[in-house]
Amino acid sequence: MNAIDRRRFLKALSSLGAAAGASLLTLPEARAAAPKARVVVVGGGFGGATAAKYLRLLDPGIDVTLIERGTLYTSCPLSNEVVSGERHIKTLQTGYRGLAARGVKVVHAEVTAIDPAGKTVATAEDGSFPYDALIVSPGVDFDYAAVEGLTQELSETAIPHAWKAGPQTLLLKKQLEAMPDGGRFVIAVPKGPFRCPPGPYERAAQVAMHCMHHGKKKAKILILDANESFSKKPLFEEAWKALYGYGPTGMIEWVSASAGGLVERIDAGSLTAHTTFDDVKADVLNVIPPHRAGKIARDAGLATLKGNWCEVKPENMESKAHKDIYVIGDACVGGETSTGNGFPKSAHMANSQAKVVAASLAAKLNGLPAPVPIYTNTCYSVVGHDWGFSVVHLFRVQNGQWVYIKEGSGISPVALGTKQAPKPVPRIYRKMEAEYADGWLRNLLADAFA
Amino acid sequence: MKKTALSLVFLALAGSAAARGDVDVLARTCNGCHGLKGVSVGLSMPSIGGLPRDYLRNIMKQWKYDERTAITMSRIVKGLSDDEIDALAAHFAKQPWVPAKQPATPELLAKGRSAISENCEDCHGFTGSDPDVGVPKINGQWAKYMELELAKYRSKEFKMPHRKMKKAAQDMKPADVSAAARYFGAQSK
Ligand SMILES: Cc1cc2nc3c(=O)[nH]c(=O)nc-3n(C[C@H](O)[C@H](O)[C@H](O)COP(=O)(O)OP(=O)(O)OC[C@H]3O[C@@H](n4cnc5c(N)ncnc54)[C@H](O)[C@@H]3O)c2cc1C
Ligand code: HEC
Ligand code: HEC
Repeated sequence: MNAIDRRRFLKALSSLGAAAGASLLTLPEARAAAPKARVVVVGGGFGGATAAKYLRLLDPGIDVTLIERGTLYTSCPLSNEVVSGERHIKTLQTGYRGLAARGVKVVHAEVTAIDPAGKTVATAEDGSFPYDALIVSPGVDFDYAAVEGLTQELSETAIPHAWKAGPQTLLLKKQLEAMPDGGRFVIAVPKGPFRCPPGPYERAAQVAMHCMHHGKKKAKILILDANESFSKKPLFEEAWKALYGYGPTGMIEWVSASAGGLVERIDAGSLTAHTTFDDVKADVLNVIPPHRAGKIARDAGLATLKGNWCEVKPENMESKAHKDIYVIGDACVGGETSTGNGFPKSAHMANSQAKVVAASLAAKLNGLPAPVPIYTNTCYSVVGHDWGFSVVHLFRVQNGQWVYIKEGSGISPVALGTKQAPKPVPRIYRKMEAEYADGWLRNLLADAFA
Repeated sequence: MKKTALSLVFLALAGSAAARGDVDVLARTCNGCHGLKGVSVGLSMPSIGGLPRDYLRNIMKQWKYDERTAITMSRIVKGLSDDEIDALAAHFAKQPWVPAKQPATPELLAKGRSAISENCEDCHGFTGSDPDVGVPKINGQWAKYMELELAKYRSKEFKMPHRKMKKAAQDMKPADVSAAARYFGAQSK
């Protein structure tokens, strides 16, 4: 293609409205018939932001309003690197200008109620918003009352969970910096499901890395876990052992629920975690409370699973409770739950679910058949300067059900060679995934917010 | 009879997302790592929009059938059918190639220029933008990504089936690897 052709080609492309889904738009009838539908999105995290953006990309005729309480979003992914001092929090932050430039009407307000019958969303101070379709992506809320002695106020001032990136991430970082050599950093992991299944174990490694490089080689990082196992366990254990020492005599120690890891009560004054077996005194106490779907979703009657999580339909993420309401991100449940292969609560998963909803709605609003959805996830964990690994998930929808596709899923290799003659995985593999993690995060943030 | 034949066709089409024209749906799942239209904004992740179709198709099939090592991609492509891989290759090959802005100082460019022996030029062209069939564009590809990729060609721990590219990479002086990657990365055309 010569330069002039190329320029013409680019111009033609941009006159299509920079459409990722040009196939939808290239149908002239579809375009003429496009109703001016109003879609409201509640929550501008990875899920909501992606949904708003892709709706506009797929059909600029759709009126999209995003309602989000905050003006600055901080990515949780890679925020454990902020705690350890490896990364500046600014590299994880973004505003909403990118979405506004794509024609999304961004409203910064607290959503106070959803009326599924009247099809409106009420806000604290900006009035109410009627919708034809509503996308709900409020993330999680923390159940402080589940841990005796813990309150939201304590989390914000003395016992941070730092499980929503922002001020608490910086508070935890400060506490870690102030911790003396020989100090004990306790991470209390709630019973699952919680957002980012590998997150607590990545945090343990990041905290250990900080201690190694800041003259605190006698520090102890104790993971008190309300569960019996965890995500990417063999990969974490290999790295912990090699880099920091693992087990009762190592820097990192993991205590499963049955071994006394369940934290039932804390004493804020003495920074003590009371487990079923023991009283553990900490220098830094990082209690992550159990999660449930964001309050606004529960209040709207969307949390049909035990009142905690929102069940949705595999083909398009529409709520099982209310028509024309779609729930995505951490607040929903999905995947092949019957075999233990449910959707992980991750930013990448929220991003993928958002694209399914956007494509399905854009087709529906144009009178076209819904495309066959596909759901994908990748989570990188960075456990040392040059040590990372990942897990990949692929789900398809067959006969109206989510199917976990084993061939397109799995963790980074634990060993190479054969089962009979396993060979260790070369370090260069781990180094590369530590590098890829950063590139992934930048692309994911841009894919949702830019 | 006629009806059965028709519904069979329909079923066959419905069985494969690519056949139903849903390559857009599939391609969107790549954006989270490779960027919208395959234009990456992450230094260690390659841009893939505008790479030659044959290259895209071959590399994905080599990963799928374990003829080539990838760190993350090998797991991703194993979940895709061959038809889906073909459709994705065609889809991304149609996107414009957008070189990333990675300015370099004249000194660095000079160093890179001498690091990319005539050898590299034979196949990649002077700026990496004028490749032969089956050779990826590397002008304005992310330098960080290319350094990692060159490390794979140079390491014996990776299966990389292109013997000539492997040899070219292995013949490089260690200090030249980064200079070459940054030189090609800085090419805006
Ligand atoms: C330490 C840590 C590390 C992680 N690492 C990874 C990782 O490596 N990879 C990965 O894929 N995921 C990771 N995650 C998980 C990831 O952060 C979440 O899965 C993701 O943020 C989910 O997106 P969401 O849209 O569901 O919710 P969120 O991102 O939490 O967004 C919800 C938004 O809704 C807004 N909101 C809620 N209620 C209201 C209301 N009533 N009115 C107005 N606004 C409202 C909130 O302000 C918020 O901005 C990590 C999480 C943690 C804590
Ligand atoms: C989780 C992140 C991630 C996702 C999602 C992803 N990729 Fe990749 N891709 C990578 C990484 C990392 C590499 C480098 C190769 C490796 O894995 O070692 C890569 C490399 C590639 C390359 C080689 C580029 C070159 O210049 O040689 C192609 C082609 C590619 N990916 C295509 C795709 C397609 C098509 C999809 C969607 C189906 C996709 N990728 C989804 C992470 C991703
Ligand atoms: C014989 C032709 C040939 C020579 C000589 C050659 N290359 Fe390559 N190069 C290729 C081909 C073909 C590929 C894709 C190979 C494959 O499929 O693995 C490639 C791939 C690459 C890549 C990876 C691109 C990507 O997107 O993943 C880089 C970087 C690169 N070459 C740089 C160089 C440098 C630097 C030199 C000189 C030292 C060089 N090449 C010499 C043919 C060549």
